[in-house]
Amino acid sequence: MTLLTVMTRVVVVVFVLHLLGLGAVWRRTGTTLRRGSIRQNVRTVGPTAVALGVLLLANGAVRDVGVELSWLIGVNITGTIHALEGAFVADLQSLSTPALTAYFSFVYVFGYVFLLTFPVVLYAIHHDTRPLSATLVAYALNYGIGLVCYVLFVAYGPRNFMPGAVESLLFTNWPEVQHLTSQVNENTNVFPSLHTSLSVTVALLAARYRRAAPGWLPVATVGAMSVAVATMYLGIHWLTDVLAGVLLAAISVGVGARVAEDEHGDESSPTETDRRPAGGVLEQLRR
Amino acid sequence: MARESCAPADRRTVLAALGSGATVLSAGCLQRARNLTGWQSTQPITLQIKTLPADSDPYALALARQIASWFQAAGIETDVLPMAEQELMRQSLLRAGFDLFVMRLPEKFRDPDALTTLLHSRFADAPGWQNPFGYTNLDADEALERQRRTDGAERRQALEELQRTVARTQPFTLLTVPDDIRAARTPAGPNWQAIDLRSPVGFLRLAGEYDSESEAPVLRVVSTDRRPTTNLNPLAVEFRRSGVLTGLLYDPLARRIEGELTPWLARSIDVVDGAPPTARVALRENVTWHDDEALTAADVAFTYDLLADTTLDDDDEDADVPSPEFRGQRSLVDDVSVVDDRRLDMTFADADRAVVPRALTVPILPEHVWRDRTDTAAIGGIPVGTVTEALVSNNIPPIGSGPFAYVRNTPRERLRLKHIEGHFSTREAADFPDWIAEPAIDALSVQVVGSDVTAVETVADGEADVTGTTVGAGTVPRIGRAEDVELLVRRSARPYVLGYNTRRAYLDNPRFRNTLARLVDERFLGQHVLDGYARPAVGPLQGTEWYPADLEWDGGNPVVPFFGRDGEVPVGAVREAFRDAGYQYEDGTLVGGSR
Repeated sequence: MTLLTVMTRVVVVVFVLHLLGLGAVWRRTGTTLRRGSIRQNVRTVGPTAVALGVLLLANGAVRDVGVELSWLIGVNITGTIHALEGAFVADLQSLSTPALTAYFSFVYVFGYVFLLTFPVVLYAIHHDTRPLSATLVAYALNYGIGLVCYVLFVAYGPRNFMPGAVESLLFTNWPEVQHLTSQVNENTNVFPSLHTSLSVTVALLAARYRRAAPGWLPVATVGAMSVAVATMYLGIHWLTDVLAGVLLAAISVGVGARVAEDEHGDESSPTETDRRPAGGVLEQLRR
Repeated sequence: MARESCAPADRRTVLAALGSGATVLSAGCLQRARNLTGWQSTQPITLQIKTLPADSDPYALALARQIASWFQAAGIETDVLPMAEQELMRQSLLRAGFDLFVMRLPEKFRDPDALTTLLHSRFADAPGWQNPFGYTNLDADEALERQRRTDGAERRQALEELQRTVARTQPFTLLTVPDDIRAARTPAGPNWQAIDLRSPVGFLRLAGEYDSESEAPVLRVVSTDRRPTTNLNPLAVEFRRSGVLTGLLYDPLARRIEGELTPWLARSIDVVDGAPPTARVALRENVTWHDDEALTAADVAFTYDLLADTTLDDDDEDADVPSPEFRGQRSLVDDVSVVDDRRLDMTFADADRAVVPRALTVPILPEHVWRDRTDTAAIGGIPVGTVTEALVSNNIPPIGSGPFAYVRNTPRERLRLKHIEGHFSTREAADFPDWIAEPAIDALSVQVVGSDVTAVETVADGEADVTGTTVGAGTVPRIGRAEDVELLVRRSARPYVLGYNTRRAYLDNPRFRNTLARLVDERFLGQHVLDGYARPAVGPLQGTEWYPADLEWDGGNPVVPFFGRDGEVPVGAVREAFRDAGYQYEDGTLVGGSR
């Protein structure tokens, strides 16, 4: 199975998940598609979306440069991370069963892509611009800060550092996926876990804008937690990477929401009845 | 006495006490402080093992971690740091920036004369696979020089002495000799079990026996080593592993074919005995480079000049920058002079006739391409250091004269070579075996994947014909389950070694290294880390005619036997040995005087 077939499979599965998701939302809320809100949303978040797009393209283009630069100036922290947390991932893997492996593999590949793309669609059809804007800003921050960390820190994941103790569960059970993952990332880019940070970002935004899409919050929460566990269970990330990912998500959401509300207004919000908070990440998240 | 109590007895607080002003600064008191500062405090001994991650090498990291755990059992704080192959070679072979490394020795060190560059003290400061350990031993130097000038029983004796010295002083500890495991697609045709994929000639054989219905057959190789997709410079130390691909792109004067060193680019090579020996080399007619320039005797002479000093500077004022990769071979040649367009005279160094033919195996480079690479390498026009462009150029596209030519590359992903029509090896007059004379493929493609498991699956899916790099024992059941896929297991000549940086504190002490080596259970490593696809060995020449009988593996290492049994380190015995070597233990940690 080549790269193309793996990608096709991901696209099809994620598309089906989208249809199911949208169907569920409509059934629950009874809202219909509003072309007006899409057009207006796209127009207002246009610049942010373009910035994110540029960042993603740049991410792909400078990845090779980043790796070279990383070996030149980065610090190899693999040993430090291992000294910090020891065999946590190995202990986690000792609980593995074929069913869990199948679940977490599915979550890591398909669930993750769905988790990242669905809120964009969901918030795009919503009449309030802020959730969409906050999401795009938060994504951009995740990628941007993540990229800088990848240059500054060289680290190999547990599957590469502790062969024998930690199995590379995803790639041994599903080797074709490595064609895909090696296209989008390097095995030295593990700190922080962008899988975790982006998924947690989605969950935090779902909590913040829960009135925009009732029912999405529990799905996003379970999804984000599953992705975070999956990265460790599959031997790809350390606990340290995951915790750093959660921190990165909190910062990104805090800043993202702030930017969105500064730009697109905060008053007379149909989704939010609270007054505008003074600031601070925690305060932002509490809303 | 008052003077005795003027300073606290604990010398670590001498300065603090003086600084606090609590003591009266009498002359006697300062004298005492001076006396105390002459004494160094003891410090824990810590070591770091640099090696490859599991994606790049199936065993290296597991070996390093096992060794680290044995060292830790002995009270030595040891950690493991994985890094990319290119980076590992840069740090350990070029910059001597390591305590210990776990790597596989290149295959060339099966040739006894190659050990000269690996172990002679003259190469202790040289980059590349030239004494990366910084090992300096006058007995070893003398034996290495003697084996080069003698033959028969005398040479054998010199080599035996050398190997005994090395086994005792341990510049590196030989961990285990792995079997090379590969997966190959059975319908691709050749008798896989007979093909040696470690050499360019093996790939030529594969090319000759490939079976395909296709109009334009392509031999598809899948590899976990991405370096050839970004660099094809035969002189670049940190990018070369086996030299198979560059060996297909470039021709040497002679290649080893079916065990015999056979004239290749040369039509004939007549070695004349003497002191020193000489050779008259005649090149084949009508040989061209891949860019259609003619290959002449001048290119050959240029190559040997370039390998000796890549600056090509005759001035004695400037330091030479020799090519590390072929320094051993080049050091056997004294002079190469052009007789005419097709003929050369070579004068060898003072060495025995049996030793010198190794000098004929270096790749011949085109003068019209490489003459421009003799300047100091620069970044953005600014020269950096003293290294020449020849040693750091990525050499893409490579212009060689070999049976295969470069077509295109996608960095980190793919490389494609095509077979040259009318290459001299396919001419009737050349008189090579059929599998060289009649290649069955048009092109060779190399695909890079992330790990050995993925490489095996790529072969199992029919997307590739063979795994070019070796795979781990863990993939064997997978190969067995796959349809139309053959398991290839061959004994290799590339042992895993634990290399010591003997320039570093503690590791400069041969007795310390000898004791460390006794903490390594080679048999356990072979059985548990390599799942039995390995055999223990004492020295790199084990299995060759030059190996002394008293160094044979005999249920254990005869020179540095493991302290314990079955991978269990007996702490008491180990501490005793380190104490005998002059070290001490504090709270179970091995300590030495701080230096």
